[in-house]
Amino acid sequence: MTPPSGGVLHGALALIVLKTLDAMGSLHGYGIAQRIQQVSEDLLKLNQGTLYPALLRLEPRGWISSKWGLSDNHRKAKYYSLTRSGRAQLSSEAESWERMAAVIARLLGAEGL
Amino acid sequence: MGGLRVFVSRLLDLFRTRRLEESLDAELQAHLQLLSEENIRRGMAPQEAREAARRAFGGVEQTKEAYREQRGILLIDSVMQDFRFALRILVKSPAFAAVAIVTLALGIGATTAVFSVVDRILFRSLPYSHDDRLVAFGLTAPIEKDEFMLGASYIDFRKTPGPFEQVTSMIPGDSKCDITEERPVRLSCAYVEQGFLSTLGVRPILGRNFRLDEDRPKAARVAILCFPLWKSRFGGDPGMVGKTISLDGAATRIVGILPANFEMPTLTPAEILVPQALDEELQRRAPPGAVLRTFGRMKPGATVAQVIVGLQPFLEQSLQGAPSAFRKEIHLSVSTLHDRQIHDARLASWILLGSVFAVLLVACTNVASLQLARATARQRELAVRVALGASRGRLVRQALVESMLLGLLGGLAGCLVAHLLLRLFVSIAPQGIPRLQQAGLDLRVVSFTFAVSMVSAAVFGLAPALSDPSPGALIGKEVRATTRSLLRPTLVAAQITVSVVLLACAGLLLRSLWNLQRTPTGMETERVLTETVSLAEYRYPKLPQQIDFFSQLQARLKALPGITGLAVSDTLPPSGQMRSTILAAVEPEGHVPIAEGTGGSVAWRAVTPGYFSALGVAVVRGRDFQEQDSWPSENPIILSETLARILFGKEDPVGKQLRLFRQQSPQRIVIGVAADVRNNGLVDRSDPEFYLPWKDDPVESLSTGQIIMRTRTEPTVVAAWMRSETSALDPTLPVKIEAMTERVGQLTERPRFNAMLLSLFAGIGVALAAVGIYGVVAFLVAQQTREIGVRMALGASPQSVMNLVLWNVIRWAIGGAALGLISAWFSTRLLQSLLFEVRVHDPVLLILALLLLLAVTLLAAWIPARRAMRVDPMVALRYE
Repeated sequence: MTPPSGGVLHGALALIVLKTLDAMGSLHGYGIAQRIQQVSEDLLKLNQGTLYPALLRLEPRGWISSKWGLSDNHRKAKYYSLTRSGRAQLSSEAESWERMAAVIARLLGAEGL
Repeated sequence: MGGLRVFVSRLLDLFRTRRLEESLDAELQAHLQLLSEENIRRGMAPQEAREAARRAFGGVEQTKEAYREQRGILLIDSVMQDFRFALRILVKSPAFAAVAIVTLALGIGATTAVFSVVDRILFRSLPYSHDDRLVAFGLTAPIEKDEFMLGASYIDFRKTPGPFEQVTSMIPGDSKCDITEERPVRLSCAYVEQGFLSTLGVRPILGRNFRLDEDRPKAARVAILCFPLWKSRFGGDPGMVGKTISLDGAATRIVGILPANFEMPTLTPAEILVPQALDEELQRRAPPGAVLRTFGRMKPGATVAQVIVGLQPFLEQSLQGAPSAFRKEIHLSVSTLHDRQIHDARLASWILLGSVFAVLLVACTNVASLQLARATARQRELAVRVALGASRGRLVRQALVESMLLGLLGGLAGCLVAHLLLRLFVSIAPQGIPRLQQAGLDLRVVSFTFAVSMVSAAVFGLAPALSDPSPGALIGKEVRATTRSLLRPTLVAAQITVSVVLLACAGLLLRSLWNLQRTPTGMETERVLTETVSLAEYRYPKLPQQIDFFSQLQARLKALPGITGLAVSDTLPPSGQMRSTILAAVEPEGHVPIAEGTGGSVAWRAVTPGYFSALGVAVVRGRDFQEQDSWPSENPIILSETLARILFGKEDPVGKQLRLFRQQSPQRIVIGVAADVRNNGLVDRSDPEFYLPWKDDPVESLSTGQIIMRTRTEPTVVAAWMRSETSALDPTLPVKIEAMTERVGQLTERPRFNAMLLSLFAGIGVALAAVGIYGVVAFLVAQQTREIGVRMALGASPQSVMNLVLWNVIRWAIGGAALGLISAWFSTRLLQSLLFEVRVHDPVLLILALLLLLAVTLLAAWIPARRAMRVDPMVALRYE
């Protein structure tokens, strides 16, 4: 499958990152990328050049927080985790995504008629 | 909220770039490490694993760049980058930077200095609450040129103050009173009505305003101190309120202290405020009563026009009460306090501001052509930047940022220039320019400077910013300024235009000053000293005491060596301060009185014998006063030539009789006629004048005397003698000694100040224009080196090459000069009221200004043109 176009991905990326952190707790950038790739069953291969700016976008909004820590194999890595307001943002964004998805599904279905 | 938070965080990031950069690096490295370890786990060799990780990751630098764009506020970030770059460029070309910054500093500095002076005069509000609602109102009549009201009619008026919310009054002029205790000192006392401060909206910082019962005759005496006196004499002691001081020998209680910024609405000096204590009954009993200056506070929203309409009933009433002779010459005068204070400073202020803006314009034009020249020289750099992907907007921004930086540096240097100029202004400025002493570089003025710098930067930065680098420049081909060559000469022409206007205006003012200084005063002022003695009324309350004092002083001075003339009078020409009456009050015996009107004002003075010879005024007929003329039985009068001609035509006036002031007093006999003397300043038309002997009739007081001494001895020595003789008689008397030439000179101070400033600006303008022309021509010659080389190789003579260069400049100079002539023709008209015996369109002056400017232009162009003449064709052809 061709990866979804940048525009859609851009809005969705925040949602995906937030959801990933919600599911996994604290995680470093590499872990987030791996996890997304895993869950999407390799359909969504994230360009690193997209992931890090996205993380940077989310942090000053207060949705995620970061701190330096040690990885499983004792490497220094920056760990990101979801904040309380990030959790709220996730639920509201997920809701609006579902609504949007339903609308688009209905539109695509209607076109078929 | 969220947006703001993001913005703040990014703003902070700007200041911690390095730390963020390191952190990002570490994070990306960690990512790569994890990725390659994963690969190793999958069985790759370490080297291979690292390379695979790198491939999978994509461009590290691109990620960083994307990250950075995300992080910073892109515009600010890149503007800072532009700034650093601009600074480097400036440092690399110090000569250009120095010329540009000095040019700007001169323009901006002069503008700032003038602005800080005129700001106080034109734009700032007065230190009263709602000062826009305050007006000065009253009547004007031939003998009192400022608006006034008379005691009795004011007392009626203030009961129903017509269109005003509140009205108040004060006794006009700078009255004196003395502190008569330890360290006696003479003060400027303002006699004001009880509601004076409350009408102006001024509150004492300590204590209170006067009470109604304190503003009555015979009430207990009270006073309010002005801030400077409170500080200087009483050390700012808050306990002064309630204390008693001795004022003019009477115990006076201090009830309040005024704020530091207080000033009288008439701008007369005042150190202490005292109730005027108008005696209502006396005012009614003996009309016309006291002359008062009156001020009113308009109701909110009211206009001056409405007030004028509202005052019509008052005007009609006043006219009915006035003597019939005055009726046609009484007018109503209403003006806002602001207008009244600055009336004659306004025009001069605008003219100075205008001329200094013209200088600024020339300075900006200069920097613009410098920038333009550099832009052409930097075309290759620009072309490279375009080739590397810089957008047009980015280049324009870069150019603008460079100009801004220049503007800022120029503005900073300009503040220094302004500070120096301001000190110069204050030291050479005459008395009576309102609020000049307070002018300074405060926040408001500095923000003005900053705004001016930025606007000028935009003005001179725009032209080079819009230049479009041609791709040809990239391959090293030299681009000659041929296509857009219009812009540069236009700048030259504009400079010449502005300079012509400045020169023409300065020339007119200088010419007018020249005329003014050569105006005959009717006196011989060389070697004449004057001493102003003003007797305190409480020490010399009666006329005989005053006359006695002056005759004693005269007797002492007469004994000094080297004195060739000595006299006393109550006032001195040529300043306009003297006693005056109306022509209708001078009635020659056997002549028909003036049928209608007042006939205008007539000046008069009380003088002792010897007045005319001491001042060097010729007595053209009859004789001077003598000792016996001061006897009570004698009633002589001396007329000025003009007054004699008005009263008696061609008849011989000596021996004729007349009556003064409609009195049933004895007839006065004309004993002499004196030559006319300027008596209304140097500019205004002189009034006809007469002289009465120095004695107790008809004057009521001779407390102020002017001692006139003509001397053969060194004036400074005589001045010291005069001082010691006066203090031997009364050590408490303040004495002011001036040379007569000095007194006359004071009258030309104002015009001299204006002329000096305008000449200064015209000089700066012309010098800047010369530098600008030199720069442009030098640049054009450098650009045309190859062309000139070709021409010379083909046989052109050096002379013809020089003519070619010069002709280019002259064409534009003539264009600019023609435009300048037209502008000067219109702008000099604005100067009209500042001029004295000069035609506004003086062709000689205009031609002089033109010639001067053309000479400067040719000189400025000649230096680089000579360089063109010496171009070696071989060198020029190998130039590229």
